[in-house]
Amino acid sequence: MVKIPEYEVITPSLQPLGDNVLLSVQGVSKKFCRSLKRSLFYGLQDIATELTGSRRRSAKLRSKEFWALKDVSLELRRGEALGLIGVNGSGKTTLLRIISGLIKPDTGSIRIRGRVAPLIALGAGFSPVLTGRENIYANMSILGLTTREIDRRFDEVVEFAEIGEAIDAPVQSYSSGMAARLGFSCAIHTDPDILLIDEVLAVGDVKFRSKCERKLGELRKQGTSFVLVSHAFQGILNVCDTAAYLSKGHLIASGDANSILAQYEQDLFSIKSDRSSIPFVLPEKPAAESAGADLISVYFRDSQGKLIESPISGESTYFCVKCRAVRKINTLSLFLAIYQPTRDNCLALHMSSAYDRETFEVLPGEHELRVYMPCLGLLPSSYTMNVYIKDGSLYTMDAHESIRFTVQGNDKLNRGMFYQQREWQVLQSPPF
Amino acid sequence: MPRQDQYLPEVLYTPESRLRHPIQLFREMGRDFLASRDLAWRLMVRDISSQYRQSLLGIFWAFAPPIVSAIGLTLANNAQIVNIGETSIPYPAYVMFSMSLWQTYVEALNGPVQAVSAAKPMLAKINFPREALVLARLGQVFFNFGIKLILIVGLFLFFQIPVTPSVLLAPVALLHLIALGTAIGLWLTPISALYEDVTKGLTLVIGAWLFFTPVIYPQPTEGLFATLVRLNPVTPLLVTTRDLATQGIIADPQGFWIASGIAIIGLLVGWLVYRVTMPFVIERMSA
Repeated sequence: MVKIPEYEVITPSLQPLGDNVLLSVQGVSKKFCRSLKRSLFYGLQDIATELTGSRRRSAKLRSKEFWALKDVSLELRRGEALGLIGVNGSGKTTLLRIISGLIKPDTGSIRIRGRVAPLIALGAGFSPVLTGRENIYANMSILGLTTREIDRRFDEVVEFAEIGEAIDAPVQSYSSGMAARLGFSCAIHTDPDILLIDEVLAVGDVKFRSKCERKLGELRKQGTSFVLVSHAFQGILNVCDTAAYLSKGHLIASGDANSILAQYEQDLFSIKSDRSSIPFVLPEKPAAESAGADLISVYFRDSQGKLIESPISGESTYFCVKCRAVRKINTLSLFLAIYQPTRDNCLALHMSSAYDRETFEVLPGEHELRVYMPCLGLLPSSYTMNVYIKDGSLYTMDAHESIRFTVQGNDKLNRGMFYQQREWQVLQSPPF
Repeated sequence: MPRQDQYLPEVLYTPESRLRHPIQLFREMGRDFLASRDLAWRLMVRDISSQYRQSLLGIFWAFAPPIVSAIGLTLANNAQIVNIGETSIPYPAYVMFSMSLWQTYVEALNGPVQAVSAAKPMLAKINFPREALVLARLGQVFFNFGIKLILIVGLFLFFQIPVTPSVLLAPVALLHLIALGTAIGLWLTPISALYEDVTKGLTLVIGAWLFFTPVIYPQPTEGLFATLVRLNPVTPLLVTTRDLATQGIIADPQGFWIASGIAIIGLLVGWLVYRVTMPFVIERMSA
C-alpha cells in the first residue's frame, strides 16, 4: 500500500474562480469526535492553537476522532442546482455548515461569491411572544438585510407566507405550518446568490409546498444557485439537474442527477451486490414455534413459469411463496404488501387472496402459493415486500417483512405512479 | 436581474488560523462591526420588547434590587449591626447609586456569555456577524442603566445632593466600567460556551467580588483589605464614576487611567478572541 505523505495545511493558490462559478469546494475534510468530553477538550485545544496563531495539525486524526467529511471537492455555477444525497450521517449537513461558514474546514478550502442564504433553520431567532411583523424584521436582519431592504420586501413576504390578518398576532399563537411558512418566506426573500436548503421543503401543506417549488424555480431562472440536501428522491429530481453522492464523508460520485440517484438507490438497497436475495430463503423455524404453516422462500416466475431474479414491468409475472403446512389448513390465504422506499416508503401495492375471497384448502406438506399478474403494474424501481400467510383473513400463521427486490423495465419508464398496459391506435373516419 | 459575478464579494474559508492574516482579519472585523449595527438594534428591540411584554411590573424590576438592598443595609447600619463608616452622600443614596453602577458592570460582564448561550440555536445555523449579539447586549445594558438613571435622578433630588459640572464627565468613566465588564465577558465567552463550569463559577465570583469593591461601604484607606480593594480594577472605575457625579473630584486619577487602559485593551483583544474562536465553539456545541 502506498502511503500518502502527510501534509500540513496548504494555503490554496488564489486563482480567479472560473466563469460563473459561485462556489468552489476544494479537498475539504472535517473531523468530529464521538465522545463529548473529549470533543469539548479538543475544542479548547483548537481554540488555544488558533489564538496562538500556530499551525493546527488538522489533517491528522486525534484519538476517538473520525472523518465526517473527507476530501470533498465540488463546484457550483450560477443558476445550477446541486442535490446532495446520502444516508443520515454521510456528511451532507456538515458540508452545508462549512459552506455557510459556520464551522471551519480541517483541510482544503471553500470559496464563495455572493450572498449565501441558508434555509437550514427556518425562523431562526423567532421570539414567540412577539408579533409576526416584529419577527419578520428580526429574522430578516439575522439573514443579513438592512431595515430599508426589509421594508421594501415586507408586503411580499407576508403575502407569500399567507399569514394575512395574523401578522400582528404573537407568533406563539401561529400553527406550526404558519410559523414554518413565515420562516420560509423570510429566507427566500433575501435575494441570495446561493441558497442552501436542508430538508426544509417538507413544511406546510401540499399547496404551500408546490408554491415553494414554483418560487425556487423562479429564483433559479433569475440565476440563483441551489445546494439541496434531501432524502426524498422526487424532491431532488424536481429541482436539481446535478447531484453529488456522499457516503461516510466521502464523495462517491457526482454528475447528472438521474444517474447519481440511480446509483444511490442501488447502493441503498444493495441489490446488485447481493444477487442471492431472490429467491429469498427464509430461516427455518423450530416446529414448536409453528402456527400451522411456515414460509420457506419467496421468488418470482415469468409467464413460462421460469424462475426470475427480478420481475419486469408490464410482463406477466407470478409472485410465489413456498410454504410448509404442518397440519391441514382449510382457508390458507396469502397477503402481499409492497412498499416503495424511494417514495417515502408509500404502499405501492396491496394484495390479499382472502379479500378476493380466494382461500385454499391444503394438506400437510410443501406448497407453492402464488399470485398471477397478467401485466405487472409496478414501475422499475426498488421495493420492499411484506409477506403474510394466514388462515382465513385474520389468523396470521407466518410473516416476513421488508424483503427487498427490484423491478426492471424494458424502457426508461420511471415517471408516473404505475405501469399501464396499452396499445396505441388510430381510427379512420370515426363514426361520430 | 443579471448580476456581474466578478464584482460580487468573495469569501474564502480555510483551516488556517485567521491570526496569520491580521490585516485581513482587522478589515473583516471592521466590516462586520459596521454591518452588525442594524442587526444589533433589531435584536435589542426584540429582546427588550419580549422581556417587557411578558412582564406585568415592567421596569419595576430594574429599580427593585438597588432599592431593596439600600433599605436592608440602611436598616442594618442604623441599628449598628454593620459598621459602615461615613459616606460622602447620605447612606441610602450612596448604596442605591453604587449598586446601580455595580449592577451595570455585572450586566456588562454577563452580557456576552448570556448572549451566546441564548443564541445557540441561531449561532449553530446561521452565519451572521457575531458582533451583533454582543452589541445587542450592550444596548440592553445602556437601556437598563437609562431606567436606573430615573431612580438616580430621583435620589439626587430627594436628598438634595449638589452636582457640579463634572457630572457631565461621569458617563465617560461609566463607559470604561462597562468596557471592563464586557472585556472580561468576551474573554470568558468561548470557554463558557464549552463548559458550564464558567457560568457557575461566575455567579460565585461575582458574589464575592462585590465585597472587594466599595459599593456598600466607602473605600477603606488602610490595612490588607484596603490594598485588596485598591488592586481590584473595578474599584477605580466605579469610584471615579461616583465621585464625578457626586463630588466633582477624582480621588485616584492614576488608578483610574490604569484600570481604563486595562479595560480598553482588554476589550479590543477580547473582541478578537471572541471572533476567531466562535467557529470552534459552534462546532462543538452542536456537533
